[in-house]
Parts: sequence; C-alpha cells; structure tokens
Amino acid sequence: MKSSGPLAVLLVALAIVFAALAVFYFTVRTSLLASETAVHYKHAFVFTALAVLSLIAANFARPKAALR
Amino acid sequence: MLGAGLILFLAVLQGATELFPVSSLGHAVVVPPLLHLSFRETDPAFVPVLTLLHLGTAGALIVLYRDQWWRILRGFVRAAVRGRVADSDERLAVLLLVGTIPAALVGFFFVSALKSLFADPRFAASMLIVNGAILLAAEVFRRRDEAARGAPIAAPASHAAGDPAYEPLESLTVRRALLVGLCQVGALLPGISRSGVTIAAGLVAGLRHEEAARFSFLLATPVILAAGLLEVPDLGPDRPTALLGAAAAVVAGVIAYLSARFLLRYLRSGRLDPFAYYCAALGVAGLVLIR
Repeated sequence: MKSSGPLAVLLVALAIVFAALAVFYFTVRTSLLASETAVHYKHAFVFTALAVLSLIAANFARPKAALR
Repeated sequence: MLGAGLILFLAVLQGATELFPVSSLGHAVVVPPLLHLSFRETDPAFVPVLTLLHLGTAGALIVLYRDQWWRILRGFVRAAVRGRVADSDERLAVLLLVGTIPAALVGFFFVSALKSLFADPRFAASMLIVNGAILLAAEVFRRRDEAARGAPIAAPASHAAGDPAYEPLESLTVRRALLVGLCQVGALLPGISRSGVTIAAGLVAGLRHEEAARFSFLLATPVILAAGLLEVPDLGPDRPTALLGAAAAVVAGVIAYLSARFLLRYLRSGRLDPFAYYCAALGVAGLVLIR
C-alpha cells in the first residue's frame, strides 16, 4: 500500500464511524440492517472488528519516516 | 426435527464435499431430496447443524495448516503494529485478510436472504451446473495460457510444484487476492463451491494448481470459522441436537481432513475437469428428478 496522509485520515474517520456503530448495536434495540428489533450483539462485534481493521489499514497507509 | 441418522449422513456428506470443488451446501440441499430422505431444508435446526459441521471442517483446515496459521497470525500482528509488510508470512496474512473481507461482509449482512435459497433444491441444482461451468472455464483458460507459454498441455506434471511458469502463493498481488476474495462471495449461493471458485480464480490469477488450492483452503478457514461461531448461539436449548451436532462436526472434520490431503496431492498433477463434469451431472439429475 502506498503511503498517503489523507487516506490514513479517511481510514481513521471510518474506524470512528464503525466504532460508533458498534456502540449503537451494543446499546440500542434496532432493526437497522437486521431482521428484527433487538440488541444485535453480532452486528456490534462485526462493527468492532471493522473498526480495528480500519485502524490497521490506517497504520499501513500513514506516511512513515524514511528508513536509515 | 433432524434425526440422528440424518445429521450423521449430512456430516459425512459435508466432510467429503466441503473441500472438494463440488459445493457441500449444494449437496446438502440437493442430495437428500434426490434420495427421498424425509427432510426439510426449512427445518430451523438445518442451518445451525450445517454450521456446526462447517466448524468441524474449519477445525480440519486449522489442523492441516497449523504451523502455517501460527506463522500467519504472528506475521499479521507484526505487520499490523509496524504498518508495513516485511516477509512472506506477513504478506500472506495481508492477502488472506483482503481476500476474506468481501465474503465475510456479504455473508453477514445478507444471511437472511441467502438462507431462503437453502429451501430450493432446484435452484441449488442449477447452481451446481453453473459451478461445473466455472471449473471447466478456468481449466480452458489455463490450458490456453499454458499453450501460449509453450507449456506441454495436459502433461501430468505440467503444473507440478516446481513449474516456474506459474506463481507461488506468496507472490500474488493484493489486487488479485481481492479478486479471488470477491469470487468467494459467489460461493454463498448453494451449489457454487467456495473451494471451486477460489481455486478457479487462483488459476486465472496465475497460481499453480496446488498453490491455488492452498490459498483456497487458507481463505476458507476464517470465513467458515466465523460463520460457525456466529451461528452457535442460535442452536437454542435443544441440547441433544447440539451434542449430536458436535459429534457430527468431529466426523465431518476427520473426513474433511482426509479429503483436503487427497485433493492437495491430486492437484499436483490433476485438473478440475472431473469435478466440473460431476457437478454438471448432479445438477442435471437434480433438475430432472426433483419436483
């Protein structure tokens, strides 16, 4: 992956959105992206995983200091 | 309610067909009605039991590649912390992650729509024919490519491990890994084989047969494992079914392990054609005989 500051920022923002969705699914009874109204722990775990993966991707994308 | 005999039958069927490129799910949906087994795919226990069987298969793959998975996991952690890929294990970890994400997301968010297709054996039979066509097409493309490169077509050792004309797994690009992963999405349909489409995509991406199978098996492990673990809470309070399902998972795992060893050895010199013809024949039989 080529280093890109804006892409890294975008991925961090995406991670924050996923983390917010994870909190939402952990705490709110909803039928959003689900078949019935309930607290959807599976959705919460999936969005938590996506948030972590977005942060890892951001770490790959961020510009790094040149190797000496 | 699924009986013990039927669950064990599904375990043997699952173990024998999951890692061969013939669609285990397609078999689980098409074969019971073909054999006139008293069985409804809409039974609420069907998908959870199938999921447990998939866990057995995932266990077999983890055992088969235990050393490699350990290196991949350590490589993933190293690469994630450093933010850069430094060796082949780290690279393979990234390729597997990129290849896994499409099927994982589609499978998770469209699971209800996909489950409704399990109740339609004729649809699964149609998809088996499509699966056969995909396998055959991949081999046709590969034979043309081998001819263009001057490789001896259909020679027994033309795609053996030492063939320099095609790539080892670790040299696959991230973009091609993503394409293989996107192909894996198609395997969420009953009748389309996950190993079939990913091995076929790996061949088109330039991997050797054996390496394409290795990537397919490694790619399948996290998806099968995650899908299985997510379904376990839905097994419900029906303990006998859960215990029986667990025993069946072990049976499926042992047979899947033996199947994987066989397939890897077969693909050192063999091709996908026989599996393609078999899928097409079973699909036609399903369409003709299932009403």
